[in-house]
Amino acid sequence: MIETVLIYTLNLSLAIHIALIAVCVWRVGRGENLIDRLIGLDMTATLILAVLVLVSFISQDVIYIDIALALAALGFIGTIALARYIADQEMF
Amino acid sequence: MEYILQFVALIAVIVGTMFSILGVVGLIRLPDVYTRLHATGKVGLFGVVLLLIGDVVFTPLGLSKGLALIVLLMIGGPATSHALASAAYRSGIPMKQAIRDDLKEKIES
Repeated sequence: MIETVLIYTLNLSLAIHIALIAVCVWRVGRGENLIDRLIGLDMTATLILAVLVLVSFISQDVIYIDIALALAALGFIGTIALARYIADQEMF
Repeated sequence: MEYILQFVALIAVIVGTMFSILGVVGLIRLPDVYTRLHATGKVGLFGVVLLLIGDVVFTPLGLSKGLALIVLLMIGGPATSHALASAAYRSGIPMKQAIRDDLKEKIES
């Protein structure tokens, strides 16, 4: 019985996360300044990570965790490089 | 034992989803870049890490990869927030409703 509840909760959580990604992409378009849009992009990457973890949970497949690992590393490097470029006008 | 693991996974997924919803609500409703960073830092740490804990508990196949991802998120999330806040302060974005600014006095002295 609890397994049925868990499956329904996972699908509901997946739908909620996809709606939150749409809200963050809207926020990137309508931000107040440059840092605000960068926060929206970072948030979008984090929520896509959460969607990959949830898809791995639903389909019981480990390959999505690998993709999430690569996405976490690339998002981390990209956000820090862009923040340094905005602050100092040089990337490295 | 099976029931306990499923219950732990259910609680972790519900709490992680609530953290994600609260982070996005904070991203829209809060007035300032710095307070928005305070809200969105929670999603990367608590939201995704709790979802990963539920995943690792329920399917023990990806245990090592899940733990590596948790460690990467716990190092990378606060570093990203700190870099963004530092870039915002150095490019001169003002703080709304701020009473005092200790960092400015420290830089001038």
